[in-house]
Amino acid sequence: MTRRFCLLSAALVSAMALVSVKAAEAPLPKADDIMDRYVEVTGGKAVYETRRSEIMTIEMEIVGRGIKGTLTRYTDSSNNAISTGEIEGVGKMEEGVYNGQAWENTAVVGPRLKSGAENDDAVRDAYFNSSLLWRKLYKARTAGIETVNGEECYKVELTPLSGGKPQYDYASKKTGLLVKTERTVVSPMGEITVEASASDYKQFEGILYPTRMVQTVMGNQIALTLIALKANQDIPKEKFEPPAEIRKLMAK
Amino acid sequence: MTFARIPAAAVAASLIVAAAGLTPEQRKLNADSFEYAWTKIRDNMWAPMPPGVDWQRVHDELKPKVETARTMQQARAVMQDMISRLKLTHFNIVPGDVYNTLDTAAGRRGEGGSPGFDVRLLDSQAVVISVDPGTPAEAAGVRPGWRLVRADGQDIAASIRKMQAGLLPSTFKELSMTRAVLAKISGAPGSKVPVEFDGAGTRAVKIDLELTEPRGESSKIGFLPTQHVWFESKKIGNTAYVAFNMFLDPARLSTRFANAVEGCLKCDGFIIDLRGNPGGIGGMSMGFAGWFVKRAGIRLGIMRLKDQEMKFAIFPRSEVFGGPLAILVDALTASTSEIFAGGLKDIGRARIFGTRTAGAALPSVIEKLPNGDGFQYAIADYVSEGGRRLEGTGVEPDEVVNWTRDALLAGRDPALDAALAWIHKGTDK
Repeated sequence: MTRRFCLLSAALVSAMALVSVKAAEAPLPKADDIMDRYVEVTGGKAVYETRRSEIMTIEMEIVGRGIKGTLTRYTDSSNNAISTGEIEGVGKMEEGVYNGQAWENTAVVGPRLKSGAENDDAVRDAYFNSSLLWRKLYKARTAGIETVNGEECYKVELTPLSGGKPQYDYASKKTGLLVKTERTVVSPMGEITVEASASDYKQFEGILYPTRMVQTVMGNQIALTLIALKANQDIPKEKFEPPAEIRKLMAK
Repeated sequence: MTFARIPAAAVAASLIVAAAGLTPEQRKLNADSFEYAWTKIRDNMWAPMPPGVDWQRVHDELKPKVETARTMQQARAVMQDMISRLKLTHFNIVPGDVYNTLDTAAGRRGEGGSPGFDVRLLDSQAVVISVDPGTPAEAAGVRPGWRLVRADGQDIAASIRKMQAGLLPSTFKELSMTRAVLAKISGAPGSKVPVEFDGAGTRAVKIDLELTEPRGESSKIGFLPTQHVWFESKKIGNTAYVAFNMFLDPARLSTRFANAVEGCLKCDGFIIDLRGNPGGIGGMSMGFAGWFVKRAGIRLGIMRLKDQEMKFAIFPRSEVFGGPLAILVDALTASTSEIFAGGLKDIGRARIFGTRTAGAALPSVIEKLPNGDGFQYAIADYVSEGGRRLEGTGVEPDEVVNWTRDALLAGRDPALDAALAWIHKGTDK
C-alpha cells in the first residue's frame, strides 16, 4: 500500500452518470497531469517533499475465510523496505528490499530471494515517495476512460522504465484520487493478476491515504486496513537488514 | 491457502446434535446458504461440470427442498446431496456444531476425543497399525496388529462389508472407510467406549477404552475447526526419520522440520513418513521441498484455477539435504501430502514406498455460510510435475509395500524396512 487511492461516496457515484457522457467526448488529459493531480489532491508536492520515512501498521484479512493478521511496514528514503507481521494460525510473514535485493520469508514457504521481474516489481514498490517521483520509475500513458464501481476514471498505463509488464491505475475524474490498480506479478509461481481497489481515505500527517484496500488475487480477496501511520521517524539502518535465513541465501 | 479435508469423525460426530424444528429465519439462512454454496461452485469450477451434471437443474431440483427442510440435518443433507453430485473430493459441509464441539474439546467437553490408536483396513479387517504413546490405549495393552472386532457395540467387519458394497469404487474409498471405522470410536476426552479386539491369535480382548486428547498441539486457522498437530523426529542408525500428521501449524511445524533436516545434513538418508497424513496448507509442500532440492527453477506441479494457474515452485534453502530421500505413503495419504510426494517423485528427487495414495488432491478453501455451517469447496485442479492429475489417481509408489498383520504383530513396519534397505543399499555401494 504505497500510493494513491480514492474515496467513493454514494453521492459522488450517483452524480457521475450525467457528467460522464460529456466528459467521454472531451480529449483525454495527459497521463502526467493525472499523476501530478493525484499528488496535489492528496496533500501537495510541498508536503510530499518533506517526507523522509513512513511506518505503517496494517491489519489484513482474507475475506470470508476467517484468516487475519497484522503487519508493520517500514520504508524510508534509502529505498529499502521491510514488512514484518503475523497471521493467526499461520505464523510469521516477512518481506523486504535491501540494497536492491528483494526477499520474502514466511513460515509456509520459507525464505527466498526474488529475482528478475519479481525483484524489479518489489524494488519499485519500495521506492520511497513514488507518488511524487513516479517519473523515475515509469513511462505513463492515458489509456482511456473506464467506470470502476460506478465511478468514471481515467485509466493510466504505467510501463516500468526498467522493462516488464505495465500496470494500470484508475484515477477518479471527479476527485483525482486513485480507485483501482491492476498489475501482473511475475514470479516463479507464475504470472498472477492482482487487482486492488481502495476506499476510506484519511489524512496522516498531511497526506491522504486510502485506509481500506481490497486485493483480489486468484479468487481470494485480501482486505488491508491502514490503522496507523507515522511519518518522518528515524528508522535505524539496521532495521532494514534481512533476517539470518535470507542473509545466508544472499551469501551463497 | 488451501486446506485438508475435515476429519470425517468430526463431521459424523456432529450429526447426532440438534434436531429441533427451524424458525422462518433459520429456513431463510439455510436457503441463502444453499444459494451461496451453489453459486461459489458454479463460479469457481476450473473445468466444465463433470459429465452428466446439469448444475442449474441440480439447483432447481434441490432449492425447494432446502427451503422446506424442517431440521438442520435435513437442510445439510440437501446441501450434501448437491455437492455429492460432483463426485469430487474436497467439497464438504461442516456443521456449525463441529466448530463448537471441537473448539470446546480442549476444555474437555463435547466431542473430539481420540482412541489413541490408528487403524488400516487389511483384508477387509480394521487392524491397529500404531498406538499413541502415553494413552489409555497403550496402558490397556493395545498393540499393532490387533484386529478391531467391535466398537460401541457395532460389528466392525460387518460395517466394512456394508461400506465396501455401498461405496462406489474410487482411489479414496479406503480413506473414507477407514475414517468411518474410526468415527465409531468417538466421544469426549475422558469418556469411555467399549471396544473388542482380536489380539494375537484367537485371544479376544474387551476394553472399556478411555478416549483421550488427540495427540499433538491444537492449532486453529481460519474457519477450519481446531486440529491437533504432532511431529515426530528420530534417527534410525544414521538415517533421519520424521513423521507428522498434517501440513498445518506452520509456525511450529516448519521450525521442527527445519531442525530435523539441519540436524541430519550428513545422514545416510532421510525418510519422511506421510502415511495417514491428510494434507493441509498446500504452500507448505513448497517450503518443505526446499530442504531437499539444490537447484532453483524446479517445481512440484501446477494448480489450475478457472482462469489462472499457480506453479508450486521449490525454493532451495541455503543448505539442503542431498542424500537419498524416501517418502512413505498409503491410502490415507491425501491432498498436500500427495502434492509433496508426487512432485518429488516426478522430479526424481524421492523414492516412494508404501501403497497408492488417496487421489484426493483438489486445492480447496473453507468459508462460513450464512447459517453458520462451514463450507469447503475445491477451487482448482492439481497436476503433478510429471503431467498427471492427482485427483482420482493418487501417487503410485516406486516400491509397493503393504501393511501386513503378521509384520505388525512381529513389531515390524514393512514400508519403513524397505526404505531403510534402499538407503543402506545406496550407502553400501
